[in-house]
Parts: sequence; C-alpha cells; structure tokens
Amino acid sequence: MYAALLSNRYLTSRLIPFIAIGAVGLCVALVVTVVSVMTGFLDMLKASGRTIVGDVIVSSGLGGIPYSDELLATIRANPDVQGATPLIDTIGLLRMPYPAGPQKEVSHVQVWAVDPASLATVTDYAKDLYWRPPATEAAAAAMTPEDPRRSLKPAVLTDGETLVQSSTGRPGITLGMHVSVGNSRQRDGSYLPRYGWFMPGHDVTLTVVPVSGQGKIAEPREQIFPIVNEVQTGIYEVDRNRIYIPLTEGQRLLRLDEAPLYDLSAEPDAAGNYPIIGTTPARITKVLVRAKPGVSADDLKKSIGSIYADFAERIAKDPTRTARASSIVNILTWEEQLRDLITPVEKEREMMRVLFSLIYLVCAGLILSIFWAIVVEKTRDIGILRAIGASRLGVMWIFLRYGLVIGVVGSGLGVALAWMIIRNINAIHLAIGSDAPSGMWIGGYVAAGLCLIGLVRALWRQRLLSVLLWLLGTLVLALAATLLLFHKGTLIWDPSVYYFTIIPDQVDWTTAWTTAVGGILFSVIGAAIPASKAADIDPVEALHYG
Amino acid sequence: MAEPTSGARTILEARSVRRTYAFGTIGVPVLLGADLVVAEGEWLAILGSSGSGKSTLLHLLGGLDRPDPDGGEVRFAGQRVAFGRGGALDTYRNRDIGFVFQFYHLLPELTVLENALLPSLVGAWGPLGQERRKAGRALALSLLAEFGLSHRLTHRPAQLSGGERQRVAIARALVNSPRVLLADEPTGNLDTHTGAGILDLLAARHAAGLTLVMVTHDPEVARRASRVVRLDDGRIVADR
Ligand SMILES: Nc1ncnc2c1ncn2[C@@H]1O[C@H](COP(=O)(O)OP(=O)(O)O)[C@@H](O)[C@H]1O
Ligand SMILES: [Mg+2]
Repeated sequence: MYAALLSNRYLTSRLIPFIAIGAVGLCVALVVTVVSVMTGFLDMLKASGRTIVGDVIVSSGLGGIPYSDELLATIRANPDVQGATPLIDTIGLLRMPYPAGPQKEVSHVQVWAVDPASLATVTDYAKDLYWRPPATEAAAAAMTPEDPRRSLKPAVLTDGETLVQSSTGRPGITLGMHVSVGNSRQRDGSYLPRYGWFMPGHDVTLTVVPVSGQGKIAEPREQIFPIVNEVQTGIYEVDRNRIYIPLTEGQRLLRLDEAPLYDLSAEPDAAGNYPIIGTTPARITKVLVRAKPGVSADDLKKSIGSIYADFAERIAKDPTRTARASSIVNILTWEEQLRDLITPVEKEREMMRVLFSLIYLVCAGLILSIFWAIVVEKTRDIGILRAIGASRLGVMWIFLRYGLVIGVVGSGLGVALAWMIIRNINAIHLAIGSDAPSGMWIGGYVAAGLCLIGLVRALWRQRLLSVLLWLLGTLVLALAATLLLFHKGTLIWDPSVYYFTIIPDQVDWTTAWTTAVGGILFSVIGAAIPASKAADIDPVEALHYG
Repeated sequence: MAEPTSGARTILEARSVRRTYAFGTIGVPVLLGADLVVAEGEWLAILGSSGSGKSTLLHLLGGLDRPDPDGGEVRFAGQRVAFGRGGALDTYRNRDIGFVFQFYHLLPELTVLENALLPSLVGAWGPLGQERRKAGRALALSLLAEFGLSHRLTHRPAQLSGGERQRVAIARALVNSPRVLLADEPTGNLDTHTGAGILDLLAARHAAGLTLVMVTHDPEVARRASRVVRLDDGRIVADR
C-alpha cells in the first residue's frame, strides 16, 4: 500500500525512470522487430520451398530408377498421396540467344526434365509460369503500358504448361526467371525486358553430359529448344539456375531412354553390331511426391520408403526384367531437401535473438545504476520508513515494484512500438526508399532555426545546461534536415534485386511475449540489487547522517 | 534509580542499558548502564548536554537501535523489546511507539496528509488492514485539523515552515495511537516562540492522557515536563 504510493511518487517525481522505460522499450522493440521480420522471411521461404519440390523427394544415383511408371502408379494409389511426378535432375550448359553476333553467352544451369502435367499436381509449376496474358480488363489496366504481358497470346501459357511450342510442335524449354539477363525486375515485382530481350520465342541450345551407370562420362549432347515461357518459383536461388525441358527429351539427351540390349558375348555382325536380345527400360533419377492436405511430410516419407522397398524387391524377384531398381535411394522431406537454404536463415535468426537479448543486460545495468543512485539519495527517507515500522521486505518491495512498473510499461510500449513498426514496415521502407518530401527538410531547418533562437536566449542568460541542450538540438535538427535534403531514395531491401517483393509485416507473438517477459524480468533483476541495499539500511545511521 | 514519584503503572523501562559505538577498532561507550522507568501518563524530560547520549537512549527506547550484546534490556508494558526479531520490532515501532525527531524527517515527495497517515499505511496489513487505514485517515485528518493544518493537506513539506513541519511530524507520530510518544529535541530546530507552540501542543496531548518522553539540552524546555531526569556520564541521575 505505502510501497505503491512511494514507488509511484518516486517514479513520477523525476525524469530518469522515464529514460529507463524508454531504454527497456527500445530494447524490446528492437528484438521483436528483428526476430519477427526474420521469422516472416523464414516462413515465406518454407512456404515457397514446399511448392517447389513437393513434400517428399526420392532420389536415386546416376543409374536412375527403371520402370518408373509402375513405381509412380503404386505411389499415386496410396491414400496419403495427392500427386507424384517423375524427374531427371542434372546440370547443363545453356547457350543464350544474346548478345547479337556469333559470340553468345553461356550459363550453367540446373536441368529439370519433367512431365509438366504431373509436375503441376506436385509443385506450383503451372502457377509459377510468369508470362500469361492478363486475366481481366482490370488486371490489364493495372499493368504499366510497356508491360509485355499486355500483348501476350493465351498460347504462351499452354505452351509453358505442356513444354511444347504449339506453333511448330517442337519440344519447348522454360527458364527460371533470372536465368536470362533479359528480365529486369521492377519495384512492384513485375518484369520488363532488358536490352530488348523478351525471351519467349527465342531459341537456346542446351548441352548436357550423359553419365553411364558405371559413372563413365559419354560424349556431350546438345539440342536446340524454343523458349516457351519463364518460371518464377519465389526463391531466387532456384529462379537463377533452373530450366525445365520435357522428360522424354531429357531421357534421350542423357541416354536414360529405352534402349536395345545387346548380347556382348556373341559375335558382332558384319557391320560390327552385336545381336539384340531385348530392351532396357527408360529411367528417371527422382520422384517428387505431394502429400494430401493434413498428411505430414514425415509420415509420407515413411510410407514412400516402404512403397519403394516393395517395388525394388518386386523388380529384383522378377526374372523377366532387364534392369534392377537400386535398393538404395535417398528419400527426403522437402525440409531436409532445402536444408541448405533454410538452416542458415534459421541460424541467423537464433543468433540475432541471442545477440540482441544481450541488450537486456544493458537494460538491467541501466536500471541498476539509476536505482542505486535513487536509493543513495533516498537513504534518509528509507531510514524514516524503517523508524515508523516499515519492514525490510516492505522497503525492498518499493524498489522492486518500481522496477516492475518500469519493466511492464517499458516492455508494453516496446511491443506496441514493434507492432507499429512491423505493421507499417513496407510503408516505412518505401518512404526511406523515396526522396524526402520537401516539407520534411524545410520543417527540419525551421525547427533547427527555432532551436538556434533558444540557444541565443540560453547564452544570454548564461545557463550552461540549456546552452548545451539547445546546441545539441540545433545541430541534430540541422543535420537531419540536411540528410533529408540530400536523401535520394535508396531502398535498403530493393525488391528489384531481392526476391520477396514485400517485407513480412506480421508480429511473431511468441517472440513478442517472451521478449516482453524477459524485459520485465531483467528490469526486476536490475532493481533487486539496489532494493536489497535499501532493505539493509539502518534507520539510526540513515537519520544520523541523512 | 530514576523512578516516578507516584505509584502509577510502568509503561516503558530501560534496565542498565549499555551502548558502545565502534570507531574502527576502538569502542566509544555512550551509555554505561542507564536505568529509566517511565510511568503511564507522565511527561518525562531527559536533560543532558550535547553529545551525552540522549538521542542514543531514545533510539533504544523506541526500538530504532539496539543495546550492546548483554547490554541490558528495554521493556515495554512489562515485555522485553525483542531487538532480534524483525517482525516484532517493526510492529513495536509502528504501533506502540510514536517518534518525533528534531529535524522533522518528513518524506518530501508526499503531501502533508500522506506524511501524517503514512504509519497507518505501513501498519495496514493483515485482515484488519482496511479498517486501520480508515481509522488512520480519520485520525490524521482530525489531528491535522487540531494542529491548524487543515488548509495545508495537499502541500509538500518543502512548502511549510519549521513549526508546521514539526506539527505534521507529531501528527504522524500519533496516527497509530501509540501508548508512548518519544520526542528528540522537538523544539531544537525552532525559535523560542514556535518551540513554545509545539510544547503547548504536546502539553495538550499530555493532558489528554498521552505518555511523553522528551529529550532536550534546554532546562527551560525541560521545565514543561512533569518530571525531569538528567543523563550524565552515560547514566541517568534523578533531578529535583
Ligand atoms: N551512529 C553513530 N555512530 C557513531 N557514533 C555515534 C552515532 N550516533 C551517536 N554517536 C556518538 O555518540 C555520542 C552520543 O550521541 P547522541 O546520542 O546523539 O548525543 P545527544 O543526542 O545527547 O547529543 C556522540 O559522541 C556521537 O558522536
Ligand atoms: Mg541528539
């Protein structure tokens, strides 16, 4: 009761506690903002990651998986499975159509030979095709006049979905959005052709190197594909490297297609050919599987594991088969597959959390020193309280409660501040990225001028502290106004460079409340030491010297 | 022995208390076995020169300070004051004794009224807390009115004169209706006229039945008391 009265009075009768509240608030706001934004990025990364590789990935070695139609049929029959798609994953070189002239640019790419129809049931491939005519008049109106999508024909989309150039019937290729330099990303996330290179319609040459089951490299093979569309998955790493071609083309190029089986023990004929005794089946190197909604990737991974084991055993026991399915395959969930991408961000976030949490110690130290000074100043008052019967715990509680109030108010304000920053982070970011409105720097100079008047008055009155404060005010405001004047909008997080077009603007509430509790805890810990000192004050001594 | 002349009941008693202050390794004895008996309802003045140990004795009587180990005992209403037991000692300081200091010792952040009722807030715990607070508030208001401070209730101590501050301090000392009021040079910091006003006020409380123990170096002030003893060489010697 009296503790509440006194701690409130001590709180409101001086300025220092408000500085402590501000410090706690800023610390909490900083941690909550940084961790929330990083958590948001991580969630976005994971959300888009899953739409790129499905839930579970079965990968074989270079030998590949034969009889994949059988395997896929069994997998698709499983009630947990939404879809499954075959895939060949390799690396290759891509000769681009640019620049003009005989010397063309070549980039190395990750080649995905796919069955586009079933791929769309496992990943967001069909949704990720970027070039498509505007769906509605309104959508068209929202695009800039020079946006090439305005004049696209519907065929560009169906060609991308089938990986066939419908006008010629040739097998087509789709490129990740950032494979070619022809796509210039705009701030709104849309693309304009750069140097006049609008890719769909151009031909590219893909070179791949087949590798035999024994690991021997064969003669490289190349094929010219027309670009039919481009793909924007949502992860820059993927969009910079990935290209898609039809599965059968991939199998042929990589010698994973159906082939005659020669009897090498027999005598070759006059032309030097061995007699044919059968065919070896076509192969793939990966199967991507999408789980039904509500089925976890880990559970699916288990069922796929047993499905594959049964399949391999069935093939092995069948004497009519000309190929074996390796009993050793790698089955991973999407999270395990994308671990390289996700883990560093996760680690960075935890690092941030730990590093920024160190500022709690600064807060605790600040409160400790402020309270220590207050306890020293209030020694006589504490002596009086003890003399009229206040207990040690009662005296201690005055200061603990004081720290608690600072912690609660500071943390509350900090979370509120973080909430405001995070909810408006894109607007703030955009404001930083634009030129400052002239009103701002003019206002800054006017405020600096007012401070200058205050400075002159303070000088006239010879008040040193006011002189210093007005001087600081003048300098800071003038500096801020000058910076605003010369500020030419540079985006810290430039969406034309970074993949995600928006910064996550959701508060991570778990972090928010744990951080707030931490802020309160450390404020109380900081207050506890001076509070114990206060409780130990001897009334007679305090009154004698106070 | 310094004992009251009448046969009234003893309320407060010091039995050969010793108090030695330590200055580094040397001990400076201040009280060398002081004996004092305070009868209920009397106004006792302890007279002594400056530095003779008057305040020290009063602090021991009020439970603010403790005697040396094996340095005698203080008894209140026939019970030993338990210097070793924090909770009991806090209650003793809060309820049984009122203390008035030479330098008022009001809390600067609190108003006049808050200062006056502070002991009732301090003691307002447990099931009777609410009632104690209410009673304390009523008593504080009536005491401040009696002391002519009704128009000052929301003022801060810094806005008051010395005499006014001391009256607030006395109201504070009385707010929990203690059985004994201990006053350490209550007029020591005031001019004669204002001091006389304070003494009138104390006399009125004494007439109303309050037991008073007052310490002073001024024989003129001591004369207002019903009985005077002298503190000399660390011992109490009876006067008159
Ligand atoms: N807390 C203390 N620590 C050390 N010495 C003290 C303390 N309080 C009082 N003294 C000493 O004890 C002696 C008596 O002090 P005090 O009781 O205040 O005398 P009085 O009140 O009669 O003037 C003085 O010499 C004083 O310096
Ligand atoms: Mg004294």
